Amino acid sequence: MEFTNILNSYVAVFGTLIVSLLICMFLPGIERKFIHARIQQRIGPPVSSPGLMAPIKFFFKESITPNSPMPEVYNKLPLIGLIVITLIFLILMPQFYFLGVFASILTIIGLLKIEEIIYIFMGSLSKSVMSMNMPFPDDVKGAKQYKQATKSFIEDISANRAFKLIAFGSIPIYLALFVPVVKSSSLLLSDIIIYQQINGPILFSFAGVIGAIVFFIGYMILLNEYPFAILKTKADVIEGPYMEYAANSRAFVVISRAFLMFTLATLFSVLFLGLPPNIFNWSFLVNIFIVILFPVLMGVFSAFSPVFTYKQFYPFVIGTSLLGVLAIIGAFF
Amino acid sequence: MGLKSYSRARAVHVMLVYTGGCNGCDIEIVNAVLSPRFDIEQYKIFLTWNPREADVLIVTGPVTKHNEEPLKKIYNSIPNPKAVIAAGACAVMGGVYKNIHGDIPSDEIAGPVENIIPVDAKVPGCAVRCEDVLAGAVSALPKLLEAD
Amino acid sequence: MMNKNNNSKRQIIETEISMGPVHSAALEPYRVRLFVEDELVKDAEITVGVNHRGVERIMEGLPVEKANSLTEKICGICSNVHLWNSVLVAEKGLEIDVPERAEYIRLIMAELERIHSHLLYLAHGNEVLGHETFSMRLFYIRETVMGLLSMVGGNRVQYGCSVIGGVRPRCDLDEMKIQKILEGLDSIEKRVMEFADRFISDPIIMSRITGVGVLTKQDAIKLAASGPTLRATGVELDLRREMKQYDPFEFNVITQDDGDVKSNLLIRVLEIPESIKIIKQAIKDLPKGPLTNRNWEMIDTDIIKNYVEAPRGKLYHSYALEDGRIRGSVIRTPSMSNIGAMQHACIGTHITEAQLAIVQCDPCFTCTDRAIKIQYTPLSKGEK
Repeated sequence: MEFTNILNSYVAVFGTLIVSLLICMFLPGIERKFIHARIQQRIGPPVSSPGLMAPIKFFFKESITPNSPMPEVYNKLPLIGLIVITLIFLILMPQFYFLGVFASILTIIGLLKIEEIIYIFMGSLSKSVMSMNMPFPDDVKGAKQYKQATKSFIEDISANRAFKLIAFGSIPIYLALFVPVVKSSSLLLSDIIIYQQINGPILFSFAGVIGAIVFFIGYMILLNEYPFAILKTKADVIEGPYMEYAANSRAFVVISRAFLMFTLATLFSVLFLGLPPNIFNWSFLVNIFIVILFPVLMGVFSAFSPVFTYKQFYPFVIGTSLLGVLAIIGAFF
Repeated sequence: MGLKSYSRARAVHVMLVYTGGCNGCDIEIVNAVLSPRFDIEQYKIFLTWNPREADVLIVTGPVTKHNEEPLKKIYNSIPNPKAVIAAGACAVMGGVYKNIHGDIPSDEIAGPVENIIPVDAKVPGCAVRCEDVLAGAVSALPKLLEAD
Repeated sequence: MMNKNNNSKRQIIETEISMGPVHSAALEPYRVRLFVEDELVKDAEITVGVNHRGVERIMEGLPVEKANSLTEKICGICSNVHLWNSVLVAEKGLEIDVPERAEYIRLIMAELERIHSHLLYLAHGNEVLGHETFSMRLFYIRETVMGLLSMVGGNRVQYGCSVIGGVRPRCDLDEMKIQKILEGLDSIEKRVMEFADRFISDPIIMSRITGVGVLTKQDAIKLAASGPTLRATGVELDLRREMKQYDPFEFNVITQDDGDVKSNLLIRVLEIPESIKIIKQAIKDLPKGPLTNRNWEMIDTDIIKNYVEAPRGKLYHSYALEDGRIRGSVIRTPSMSNIGAMQHACIGTHITEAQLAIVQCDPCFTCTDRAIKIQYTPLSKGEK
């Protein structure tokens, strides 16, 4: 009996993880094909291409040494990011609630912070050919010269911006995480879920609705999707911290972004609907629905908006943060 | 077809390098081919601006001297397997700039793309037609698919 | 250099960022160096010359008919206007009377090209704004114009319409072509106006483009900006008003006051209906008659100069003719005089907006790289 229970939970954990990884590969394709391409009146790529086939292709490419002061570290960073996201996902599963205080909101916040700090490392370690390294006669006679100016790579700006993302950009999502905490007066995920099983999902309350909106905007900011793409935009600083990734590392970059999409949406369904991911439960279908709904909404928003500069980004984040504070205050009542 | 070739055929990342063409080919490739009318994405071809991500390099224009080194550097930073498509008359054989200085070595044009990096497919036309770009990308595919 | 305030020279500029010649936001190869202080651009430098190929050098000594067709290869966006101007230079020097029908067809082609160039500008501007959907939709509208151009001229980019004395017979407009042009123009006008409504009513886009990359009237005049970039600052200067080819037609010169990205985008949107108006008038009064005047003789001339209004501004071509061959060809394109305006507009913007401030002046650096100047000394003076 004991043995079957343990086996069951192992199967549940690994099954959920593998099914989730498989589903998350299709999220970029769904966003690209069904939302962006439809809105832009074209056919668009097959659903499997951007998320599933592209990483597989990158695995089969030749590994190169990136242009970086620490190529080994730089190449490992996406893998670390993927592990961090996987840890967040594992904590969300009921089988890990025995960890007690480790299966709490604080752990999730800490892990998300690690994910953001990885962007800073990526940005400062990447030295791409596309800006300073381009062989071009810059310092010629007659060119503008500023003696004090240090020549910097465009990824350095990305690193700066990643820091700004930590400093204020990701505040909305953290505020939204505290709405369920205040509602259930506990930091533990298990308590939050039990509270929702008794009182109904938090989403269907005043604070829950506002919290959900704030969470969604935080989700877009954390994923760097247009219009909140301050880390990487096609129009400005290309690709930002990911510039130098090729082959395996790039595959991990693609996968970890897709899996972050999945994990954050699952986090939403745990915190606001009280449905932890588990393939042996019918509620997993609701999880998948939320997981697909979020990129779809995100695609609609990003298709109809230009990329934000700080002039739009600061007021938007401040406004959303105020909403988040309102949601937390609302959660007390 | 193994998983390797299958995945390579389903996601082709294309990078463009303009080396001093007249904008005709550049706009035909970037804008017309990606516009909803031709929509190259439906053939699983994606545009990227990062050599580390790219599989196929499309070069337009007769390579000017200033662009020679950047072109080489970008070509070298693409990880294997890679293919190069020379698009447009200038990139294929020099176009009207072919004999710009007669037999004297030219100060301006470093030659058609072939002189600088190996070319796998050539797309003729001045300017290239959108359909030909698609055909050129397809004709460079076997090299990508069969590589290790 | 050109600083907006005198103090900025004394400020310590911490970082220099450079991009190009290959960059995602730039359509063409050029180098941009931005001198940045906490993501605010304090000074900018645009380096052109990457594209320099030297068409003038090939043109030197070629028969004039042959050399004219080379001018098309200068630019892939406004190829027709280059050819037109080059042909006009020869016609001015040799005093050739062009049949009226040919004049009208050339003008129709030029205005169609202006529509396509402006739509390309708008689409590229939206791409740089980060608005992929609008950019795709504008490219879709542009495909209609490209269809019309390729129907009349036979190619999507370089049509080779004008020849000395008239136009090529394949560019003649028959009933079917006229019908299609009218239908196409109606649909373009409707769709562009629909787009403009959507564009102006979007508060986020407006906040992105209002007050960004401002160029004042004085600066624009001082930096010798030309074309729509100059008109966006409130100067009513359109060469089309002075060209005799445009005399029979009625059209408005659009001006805007602010000189920022918004004015620049709007001026191009509003110029499209004006171009459509000109084409419709030209098609309505399209005279019957021959397409080319073959009755001319080649004579030697001194340097002949001519200006036309290209989609981007004032375009200058000049050469002398000797034994039917071209000597001392000089071409100055509108983007050349707009480079100063571009650098100036960059100053004070955010890094993300710097590309936008450059793109707002509608750069065409492939045309611009004409640093060659062939000194012309007439043979009669050179020989002893």
